[in-house]
Amino acid sequence: MANLNIDSVKTRTFDAIVIGSGASGGWAAKEFTEKGLKTLVLERGRDVVHVKDYPTTNLYPYELEHRGETTYADKQANPIANRCYAYKEDTRHFFVKDEEHPYIQEKDFDWIRGYQVGGKSLLWARQTQRWSAYDFEGPARDGFAVDWPIRYQDIDPWYSYVERFVGIAGNKDGLYTLPDGDFLPGYPLNAAEDYFRQSVNKNFQGRHVISARCAHLSEPQPIHIEQGRVKCQHRILCQRGCPFGGYFSSNASTIPWAQKTGNLTLRPHSVVHSILYDKETGKATGVKVIDTESLEELDFFANVIFVNASALNTNLVLLNSKSDRFPEGLGNDNGLLGKYIAFHNYTARISAEYDGLLEYRTDGRNPAGGGYIPNFRNVDRQETDFLRGWAAAFGASRSQIRDTNGVGDALKNALLDDSKWSNWRIHSHMMAETIPKEDNRVWLNADKTDKWGVPLLHISIDYAEDDWQRRKDYYEQMTAMYEAAGFTNIRTQDDGRRPGNDIHEMGGVRMGHDPKTSLLNKWNQLHLCNNVYVTDGACMTSTATQNPTLTYMALTARAVDHAVKSLKNGDL
Amino acid sequence: MKVDVINRRTALRRLLYIAGGTLLLPACYRQSGKATIEMTHLVIDEEQENLLAELVETIIPSSDTPGGKELLLHLFVLKMVDDCHSPEDQEAFTAGLSTFSTYSRELMGQDFIKLEVDKRIAFLESLKEIENEEVKRFYGITRRRTIQGFTNSKYVMTDLKKYELVPGRYNGYFKMT
Repeated sequence: MANLNIDSVKTRTFDAIVIGSGASGGWAAKEFTEKGLKTLVLERGRDVVHVKDYPTTNLYPYELEHRGETTYADKQANPIANRCYAYKEDTRHFFVKDEEHPYIQEKDFDWIRGYQVGGKSLLWARQTQRWSAYDFEGPARDGFAVDWPIRYQDIDPWYSYVERFVGIAGNKDGLYTLPDGDFLPGYPLNAAEDYFRQSVNKNFQGRHVISARCAHLSEPQPIHIEQGRVKCQHRILCQRGCPFGGYFSSNASTIPWAQKTGNLTLRPHSVVHSILYDKETGKATGVKVIDTESLEELDFFANVIFVNASALNTNLVLLNSKSDRFPEGLGNDNGLLGKYIAFHNYTARISAEYDGLLEYRTDGRNPAGGGYIPNFRNVDRQETDFLRGWAAAFGASRSQIRDTNGVGDALKNALLDDSKWSNWRIHSHMMAETIPKEDNRVWLNADKTDKWGVPLLHISIDYAEDDWQRRKDYYEQMTAMYEAAGFTNIRTQDDGRRPGNDIHEMGGVRMGHDPKTSLLNKWNQLHLCNNVYVTDGACMTSTATQNPTLTYMALTARAVDHAVKSLKNGDL
Repeated sequence: MKVDVINRRTALRRLLYIAGGTLLLPACYRQSGKATIEMTHLVIDEEQENLLAELVETIIPSSDTPGGKELLLHLFVLKMVDDCHSPEDQEAFTAGLSTFSTYSRELMGQDFIKLEVDKRIAFLESLKEIENEEVKRFYGITRRRTIQGFTNSKYVMTDLKKYELVPGRYNGYFKMT
């Protein structure tokens, strides 16, 4: 009997444990296993095997029962998921349904989740921009949050390292506000987007319109072919899962790569309840897991633990990791765990028309989506009465015009008529930085738990006055830029989305120099329990304006490198 | 039991249109009085279904290419209303469908189904001005879903226009001729 127990513990002991298999967890898995560590990846949802588990990927529009629409019953049952732009009939199986994992909204908050192997990396918008030196220096210069314990130079080589493996399409634009990376060829702007780029260049100093940078294989390199991925085929059906591996996901890239090393144990259906802490050694020893199929409680052990459960769930796991030493959650002596959560303000859009360059239209589809306007506000110095700034997505398209007013032959002919095209329709949406605030926070409910005995999460996160100042500036500046380009019919629109719907929740376990004011050090280790690393969105000290996933992946690769070196020289 | 006799070619063609769709399996052996497809919310009888078939055929008639009826757009309309519309919409749809013929008799002196094509079109055009909310809503929903069903039908997307699942290209400066 004793031997059996020892064997059982042995089979549940690994060199490293990674909680979560999304973009950052997948990277932790790849890095650890490549460096020879036996690694356990815990995923709370089911397995999704690349291609095999993409049931809708090759369906034509008419093969979808409701032509892509979700049903009324679905909308009633899942109002949160249905508010996500990507939640449709062909993708809904990759999203968490509202009832599956309830949370308590102190204020309106859309928590969009993907519980499966690959997490939200299957569903992301694939926009990938580096942060700049200015973004890392922001909090210190402007006096908010705490100073980032790293600078651009610290992450620069890791951005390159990740970019080469992921495959990022982009141009070398030479902008210090948005550093260039190790790019595959960018996707060119179309005629109207390119015209706008030139107009902005001519009329607005320091403002730029560039090709959006995205995680698509525009020209696969040997490293991508080796992953089994090929050139992006411009389907733009990405959220169904891509049979070509044309965009980066854990499923297409890092997870199978880690599997090939023979060092990966992937365990789906494993909800992490908490991290186990040993006060004698001052280290975490492993994690407590609930198997969602057997409802069995199991402990797994390792020398180092990476928490990549997605920002808010990472907060939840740490808050729930209570011990005599840490009654308020692992590493939480300062009481800041779960606080200073921030996100991106996506509430603004601006549309217009352009009646020039009508000799052109587009043909095929652009996986990058069009153009990108890097933040130009308050870059070199504070110049407005709000802090920080905003970036913007920008695109132009033409569609066929059809008069659908008639009935009978007239209508039928109109619907089949491909000869008339609209003016260029110009569109943009805002991606604004938000300032982390202490009262934007999450905490655990004292009594209520989910069906696995994990406490429910309270979420209290809201916009603040300065978010509307940034938005006003976006409306004003974009209007001026549109007007200068001769665009007409300019319309601004508050799209009314709730916080969380941007799906860029960040913070709660922020990095910083000082254990009194932050949870993680410059290597993403908990100050107070250094064999636990957090490298997903939860670690973010501030948000900048960039889509954050590339930064999580780079921080993860950097942190694994540090962890493995530390293990080798006995520091962990 | 009543058996709808349709010719073999039509039957085959119908089956082909819906083969990819998995959704609409028209029963060739129809139990008298009932609608062709299973519905959860709507209660539609055979006569109403036939009226709807004539209506979608009027909205998108067959010519040298199939029309609404042959493409089974009436069943598509029913499917969408049954699954994707609110109870209020469904109520208005059913009520509007019921009063549709009454309206036709009042305005045109005859059931819609018995009208000549040009009279049917004239009647539909006149619906823009009517005050009966239910008929208006019924017709609005039917029209919208018929157009959607037509442009997204396999027939239109493969035979008349080419929907490209895998374009493999992007040209932002495509010169128009």
